[in-house]
Amino acid sequence: MTFSKLTSLLLCGGALAFASPVFADTELKVYISSQHQPDVWRKALDQYEAKTPGVKVAIETGGNTSEAQAQYLNTVMSAKDSSLDVLILDVIRPAQFAAAGWTSDFSGKDLSGYLPAYVEANTVDGKVVALPAFADAQFLYYRKDLLDKYGLQPPKTWDELKAAAKKITEGEGRPDLQGLSFQGKAIEGAVCTFLLPYWSQGKALVENGKLTFDHDAAVKALSLWKSFADEGVAKKNIAEVATDDTRKEFQAGNVVFAVNWSYAWAKSQGEDSAVSGKVGVARLPSVEGGEQSTCLGGWEWGVSAYSEHQDEAKKLVEYLSSQEVSKFMAINGALLPTYADLYKDAEIAKAAPWFADALQVVETAKPRPVTPRYNEVSEVIRTTVNAVLAGVVTPEDGATQIEARLKRILR
Amino acid sequence: MTTTSILKATDAQEQRPAAWTRWLDLGDRPLALLLLAPATVLLALIIVYPVCRLAYTSFFNLSLTSGMPAEFVGLDNYRLMFDDPVFWETTWNTVLITLITVPGALVVGLALALMANLPFRTQWPVRLSLLIPWALPLSFAGLIFAWFFHSEYGIVNDVLIRLGFEGIIWFNSPGWAFAAICLTIIWKTSSFMALIILAGLQTIPRSLYEAADVDGAGRLRQFFEITLPLLKPSIVVALIFRTITALQTFDIPYMMTGGGPGTSTSTLAMYIHQNTVSFLDLGYGSALAVVMFALSMCVTTVYLRMIRTKE
Repeated sequence: MTFSKLTSLLLCGGALAFASPVFADTELKVYISSQHQPDVWRKALDQYEAKTPGVKVAIETGGNTSEAQAQYLNTVMSAKDSSLDVLILDVIRPAQFAAAGWTSDFSGKDLSGYLPAYVEANTVDGKVVALPAFADAQFLYYRKDLLDKYGLQPPKTWDELKAAAKKITEGEGRPDLQGLSFQGKAIEGAVCTFLLPYWSQGKALVENGKLTFDHDAAVKALSLWKSFADEGVAKKNIAEVATDDTRKEFQAGNVVFAVNWSYAWAKSQGEDSAVSGKVGVARLPSVEGGEQSTCLGGWEWGVSAYSEHQDEAKKLVEYLSSQEVSKFMAINGALLPTYADLYKDAEIAKAAPWFADALQVVETAKPRPVTPRYNEVSEVIRTTVNAVLAGVVTPEDGATQIEARLKRILR
Repeated sequence: MTTTSILKATDAQEQRPAAWTRWLDLGDRPLALLLLAPATVLLALIIVYPVCRLAYTSFFNLSLTSGMPAEFVGLDNYRLMFDDPVFWETTWNTVLITLITVPGALVVGLALALMANLPFRTQWPVRLSLLIPWALPLSFAGLIFAWFFHSEYGIVNDVLIRLGFEGIIWFNSPGWAFAAICLTIIWKTSSFMALIILAGLQTIPRSLYEAADVDGAGRLRQFFEITLPLLKPSIVVALIFRTITALQTFDIPYMMTGGGPGTSTSTLAMYIHQNTVSFLDLGYGSALAVVMFALSMCVTTVYLRMIRTKE
């Protein structure tokens, strides 16, 4: 390229850069992870653009796991980068983001219409730091057709599940049919994997900010998952399975029972699903003599403290967190509403019949420990679950390791 | 380049002074300083300052999740490190990766260089295929090999099964996961070794081999008596670069196993990343980074000594 061409190009570029803000709308950038159906959120955002002149909203996607997203956001936010205006945050993160001063408060916002669990997750030291995007909990997905074929009911305990899975996989005789799929990879979901049978024994991990670790219950929880892998109910490489792997394999018809979040429903009923119309959803089983417990999920909308469009961003978040959008996302994306009333909505019931029973599950779901140092708590639990499932450490040693390391973090 | 060599260069120019040097009318030394200044300022800004800042931060309890201002804690972060089993495990993994992949890449790289130096009629396809692994970004290589070694969809297990062996769940056991990572690193880095060694090979005069042929020395003898000794300088340079990058291994294990199963394939660089980027514990992360910096400095010093004694 000659010098004169380069110069003229630079001049043009410079002229454009100076000229464009004069005509431009306010452009807001929303961070949504790629696993959260950005295509469906896009439709909700299109509706917002249509009724809000002067505001354009762009989606930035990234990271298909909760930790990948958190790592990306940690980098952006600690650099005080103003490029993102609105952020989707896993339910465990508002506390950390608020402590770091990364989100703007919604002062005076009345949260009373939302489900109580989300009011709690989004309120830090009396301040509203984010607004609920959607509710979530883990459920047991099962193949209704296969259970009917073998005359089985959805299991109430993990032992029943194990027996049912064995009966079906042996009866079907397909080597690629897995009895149970759950998350054994060292991802955020593996924290819930550990907590499900731990909580089911009536134990708590943290109470009033103090560690209340029950060693025996932890050993039992880890042994339960390991036994699924050892007995061939789950596949051998379960330590490699992440949330969306469970969803894909279930959808391909290769799994009888699956532990997953609500989003898997819409996909399992989709056009490219091999199991459309054959899927049932139930509460997760309990340990023998324990309570049926599940992990509280859900995601929140926060406004970046470094956004240069605070007012516009907050207005957008109010819209995204409204009943209207909550209903839209329930129907089109199978995301559980954050408003109790919507669970009885007729249109939603038509799209996802099991939502009617899901309200009780979400209301009794247990939150993971709320602490600004949650990332460290999570890392300890998920890497240990992963190591136990891979057979690197025994459930006993795993429980001891979790206890020792959590003591250091929550001292 | 050292100061003296620059001074020599300017001496040579002095004999036919260009218009602009007369206009500047500077002596040798000020001119040299002036010419060195931009590079020095740049290095100070992007290397010296961050390193000093890192060392400074390592004496503070600075965690973005606490919401508290930084507090001076002296050597506490370093003391914490000594009781931290994950620090020891990741450091050991890093050392092990270095000890396995540096010699591994050297042997493979040497073999590749010798092959590329064979009298092919058209040399560019050979050279190009040598360049490709080197030109590929590390994280891409990690992702590609993660799929190669995937227990169900990977090509490695496919080949194993076709040959009548049983498939291996590579990332489910620390040993196999470690082996897969080391193989990938060796594949990725041996081409860099090969390129440097190839350059060295081409400086060896053909006449030496002809003389050896006349003296009746065999192929093997020629390799050990001529090729290898004359390649030593290139090999040392290649080793320095490779060892330093091996100590900083991050991308490939990060993409392939994420440090798993458990923390059994996690490296020191990954642990630093985890503490700073995920846990936002900048104080502890800085202390870990200072240790890694010290480790790299030690190794580099040893190598530099080796070269100097050679000279």
